[in-house]
Amino acid sequence: MSEPAPPAPARMRRGNPRGVWTLFVRGMLRFVRFATEGIGGALISALLFLAVFTFAWAGEAEPAAGVSLPVFVAPGIAAFAMALNAFENAAFPVVYDKLEGIIGDLLMAPLTPAELLFGYVAGATIGGLVTGAAVLLVLSVFVEIALPAPLMTLAFGLLGALVFALAGFITGLWAEKWDRYSAVETFLVLPLGLLSGTFFAVEALPPLGQDIILANPVFYLIDGVRTGAIGQGYAEPWLGLSILAALAALLWLVAWRLVVRGYKIKP
Amino acid sequence: MTDITPKSAASLPAPRPRAIGLVNWMGLWTLYLKEVKRFVNVLTQTVLAPMVTMLLFLAVFTLALGRGNMKFDQFPYAEFLAPGLIMMAVIQNSFANTSSSILIAKVQGNIVDVLMPPLSTVELALGFALGGVTRGLLVGTTTGLAMWVFVPMHMHDFALVLYYGVAASLMLSLLGMIGGIWADKFDHIAAVTNFVIVPFSFLSGTFYSVERLPEGWNFIAHLNPFFYLIDGFRYGFLGRNDGDILTGMAVVAGVNALLIFVVWLMLSRGYKLKP
Repeated sequence: MSEPAPPAPARMRRGNPRGVWTLFVRGMLRFVRFATEGIGGALISALLFLAVFTFAWAGEAEPAAGVSLPVFVAPGIAAFAMALNAFENAAFPVVYDKLEGIIGDLLMAPLTPAELLFGYVAGATIGGLVTGAAVLLVLSVFVEIALPAPLMTLAFGLLGALVFALAGFITGLWAEKWDRYSAVETFLVLPLGLLSGTFFAVEALPPLGQDIILANPVFYLIDGVRTGAIGQGYAEPWLGLSILAALAALLWLVAWRLVVRGYKIKP
Repeated sequence: MTDITPKSAASLPAPRPRAIGLVNWMGLWTLYLKEVKRFVNVLTQTVLAPMVTMLLFLAVFTLALGRGNMKFDQFPYAEFLAPGLIMMAVIQNSFANTSSSILIAKVQGNIVDVLMPPLSTVELALGFALGGVTRGLLVGTTTGLAMWVFVPMHMHDFALVLYYGVAASLMLSLLGMIGGIWADKFDHIAAVTNFVIVPFSFLSGTFYSVERLPEGWNFIAHLNPFFYLIDGFRYGFLGRNDGDILTGMAVVAGVNALLIFVVWLMLSRGYKLKP
């Protein structure tokens, strides 16, 4: 009697789509599991900011000709919520998996570094987009968001969420404890998000501030989303899109190299 | 032959238990010190982070709203806003200190280490509450000093500033204790923070005068204890107010008395703390 043939190993010559899909689905399930805090928290803080700006403003000075302050800030609030959520979606699982030791299961799986990175980041990006869209939708109940160029908002949103998801992934790799992760969030992401024209027009800044803000890539994200949502923008959309795309590519390269080298995830 | 039995065992008197008078001062001081060291250990997160956040808020709101030289009773918007933001930092951090301390101790099981020692209910409550008050005042002072660099600060009545600073941090420390004792997991306390504490501190006049609110809302604002905290605190700095100051002081003191009673009741019954 001949021995039974050993099971043939799965053939993955052209990448491992099933593995990537599994990792992506896990990210999305995590997002859904924490939706109350994720989307719910983002919605509450968005509504609070809108309410505060509405009550405090009372029609004094318009941030741009013919635009009221609540309408002006609404897209900024949505873009900020999206960016913060994408960052958290990406950073949180990496830190958690590292601390719990689950990351070993992923490093053992037949996934290339690029596939691993994609699996983590894609879920975080989609989650950020969903949160941003939800915030924009709820805010549109209270202020008029005409959405003259929805595709532009989507394009900026997608690139912006990707940039912040990649930044979150890198932060997650770097952070050994929760302290470090929250330090990056408080001292880097929050200032970048709030000081990038989320709530004010570029013209409100002194000349030096205007130069600084134009060198800040997050500004182009907020500005692009605003252009698409209420038709009110400062910079050229194509310029913003190319800056964000270049930044995303750069961050992708950094994150990919870190995974290849096993930075803080391999012994 | 040498006698190797220790002489001390026979000759020294047996140790006596430490006599505890009316108040266990040493125990209270130890608990307080533990509470303070807990947040000092992560000063970046507990003091520096709220300071930076409030400075950001100051910058962003001044840029967004201050352009048209917006004023509240002759005060430029930034000067109006600064005391409100300091109070907001005090409110959020006092609450965070006691709630996280008690909840972490419960989840990790080391809450018995404060329930077992000879500390009375009042001493227990006081130790935790004073820790929260210390954090609130430290955050408030740091935030205020940092804002002073950018915004001219007035000081109309220092006694009132101190009264409201202490009363607010005490109120929120007590609320934090109630929340920490009630919560079973971190989700619960996060929900209370996100859906109750933060909205109340945002909407109680930090960023605007409540007289700007629509008719019905104005009345509701006056029922809100947080409104009196912010309004009174701001009066101490600027000498301008929306509500009546004496009423505010009474409301704040009354709420604190009520909360002390609730905390005392919870601790003495061991609600969710003792089996």
